[in-house]
Amino acid sequence: MSILLNSATKVICQGITGTQATFHIKRSIDYGTNVVGGVTPNKGGTTHLGLPVYNTVAEAVSATGASSSIMYVPAQHVKPAVIEAAEAELELVVCIADGVPLKDMLEIKSVLRGSKTKLIGPDTPGIITPNQAKMGIFPENIHKSGKIGVVSRSSTLTYEAVLETNRAGEGQSTVIGLGDDMLIGQDFVDILKLFHEDTETKAIVLIGQLGGTFEEQAAEYYRQLKNPKPVIAFVAGSAIPFGHKMGYAGDIITHGIISAQDKKDALSEAGIIVVDNINDIHLCLQEL
Amino acid sequence: MNIHEYQAKRILKRYGINIPKGDVAYTPIESRRVASRVSSRGPWMLKAQIQSSARKKGYFLEKRTGSGGGIRKIQKRTEIIKNAEQMLGSTLVTIQTGPKGKTVSRLYVEAYSRIEHAFYLGLAVDRVNATLTLLAANTAGDDITNLAINHPEKILRLPLALEGKTNMPQVKQVMEFLKLSSKSGNSLKRLINGIHRIFLDYDATMVEINPVGVLKNGILVALDAKISFDDNALYRHPEIKRLQDDDEANSRELLAAKYKFGYSEFDGSVGCIVNGDGIALASMDMLSKQGVGTACFLNVKGGVDKDKIASGIKIIVSNPKVEGILINILGGFLRCNLIADGIVAAASEVGLNVPLVVRFEGTNKEEAQEILAESKLPIVMADNMEDAVKILISKMEAME
Repeated sequence: MSILLNSATKVICQGITGTQATFHIKRSIDYGTNVVGGVTPNKGGTTHLGLPVYNTVAEAVSATGASSSIMYVPAQHVKPAVIEAAEAELELVVCIADGVPLKDMLEIKSVLRGSKTKLIGPDTPGIITPNQAKMGIFPENIHKSGKIGVVSRSSTLTYEAVLETNRAGEGQSTVIGLGDDMLIGQDFVDILKLFHEDTETKAIVLIGQLGGTFEEQAAEYYRQLKNPKPVIAFVAGSAIPFGHKMGYAGDIITHGIISAQDKKDALSEAGIIVVDNINDIHLCLQEL
Repeated sequence: MNIHEYQAKRILKRYGINIPKGDVAYTPIESRRVASRVSSRGPWMLKAQIQSSARKKGYFLEKRTGSGGGIRKIQKRTEIIKNAEQMLGSTLVTIQTGPKGKTVSRLYVEAYSRIEHAFYLGLAVDRVNATLTLLAANTAGDDITNLAINHPEKILRLPLALEGKTNMPQVKQVMEFLKLSSKSGNSLKRLINGIHRIFLDYDATMVEINPVGVLKNGILVALDAKISFDDNALYRHPEIKRLQDDDEANSRELLAAKYKFGYSEFDGSVGCIVNGDGIALASMDMLSKQGVGTACFLNVKGGVDKDKIASGIKIIVSNPKVEGILINILGGFLRCNLIADGIVAAASEVGLNVPLVVRFEGTNKEEAQEILAESKLPIVMADNMEDAVKILISKMEAME
């Protein structure tokens, strides 16, 4: 078992004919991902990498029965691409691009609120279920199939967390990068819920970082779970000094300045195992 | 991207929001000239134009600046030149600038407004709820951040629409919450609508009017203004991009920005090159745990290659605080040999007189190790972050 993605998931690629898309989607296919087609406006009817290309997501969905999309479109085109995917009622959309304007994300989130589409990202390495399927830019060779769920708000630290599970002699059920951006599609609570329900996942590694209150929400959710699975968490940003910013509005939104230590305290009080050193995660996994 | 108060006030004015009469001045004489123009008898406000909050409570590093802060109320015309001379060219330190402070190169000279009372008004994004949120509070002398922590119920939060105007029931709600008299109704409507439109029209990330003053006749006036814009949306607003003040950044920050690197400086001694914000923070945490501070980190972001690494190293070694370099890169399809080539290229060009430890994960690791070994440069490869930090610190200690 896994969450959100497995070898049977039918995946299309939005922006498939681009250079980055071509490079990464080929690797995803080689990895075993069930990629069934692609979408590039005005290139419908052609084939690319041996896959049919469609003009719109709706056409691709009706022709292939795809449920998921990985998009490699430039940041300034992400908004219409996600909205198109949501209107075609895809279940899962993964957006790798970084630099999506904040206002575009506000509008995307407002559209997603009334839809069944789950968005991962933007600014994420994506999602991978080892030995089954990959939507994104993960290096395949570091992943091993196993029973640890990994969810991270930091792109690069996702890899660090995976390496730690390997060091512990474990593997991963599914690995998800939520995205580094200010506004993201899925958050910790969404993914923890899925890992909690997944019979194959026995423990979860959670990587948080400074900014926002996503870790606090996760703690709040975890606290009220019955028989929760063990979660090991690291929060990046303890050494960062305050300052170098403007205005108070951001701090007011979060009810005051929040430090990495505040986040660690919140997670720890909820019963989550918190490490101060990210390279101690493997030790905690071995103790479970 | 941030802009100065005087630039923000010009934008407010264009949106029909009342601001006190004022203008920017670059010299003491110009300050006096502006003062005469905006008010015949005074008093006047002299306001240091640096991008920071709490300028009034800030202090200058130079002795010649007298005891006043970065915002001064001037009663007599004869005092204007003296105070402007003290402030211009001096370094103002506030809780938001860090101890190094920022140099004041211009003043905003404004007519003083006699107000009955004042309140806070802000607009920002609530990340958890993904909404554009209006914040309003009667501060009555209390610090707005204290209020946010201790009395959140005293701050009104209203989600605003992503299109069109602020709706009237919401304006009414703000009015009742702030206990404003009906005389202020139209003024408040214009103010809220104005900052709402500015936020959406220019892809702002924050608009803050702290404080809004209430005049005797009920009219509201923006006594200060802060606007931050979304760097990712500046391509849609060339007229905003032109407002950027390069004096707010040092030469290394400007160079890093040119390459689209993320770059931040701190007070420690290690320079870090990384490829993500999370790994930057985690590297800093690890160094700090081992008792060593970070001098700077440079985030080369995605698409790391030989040239990017070489330019990054050049920026880092030009920082005089750097006594050791940590390169910590966890790449997707990164080929480590290219990174090694970049390190060797930069080192042969600018010289490398500080220890350098590299940790990377990616393909062609063995080839990279050979390249570094052959270069005979003082470079060490480490297998994980913790080892990399420990090795670097021991090398730095050996140099002393």
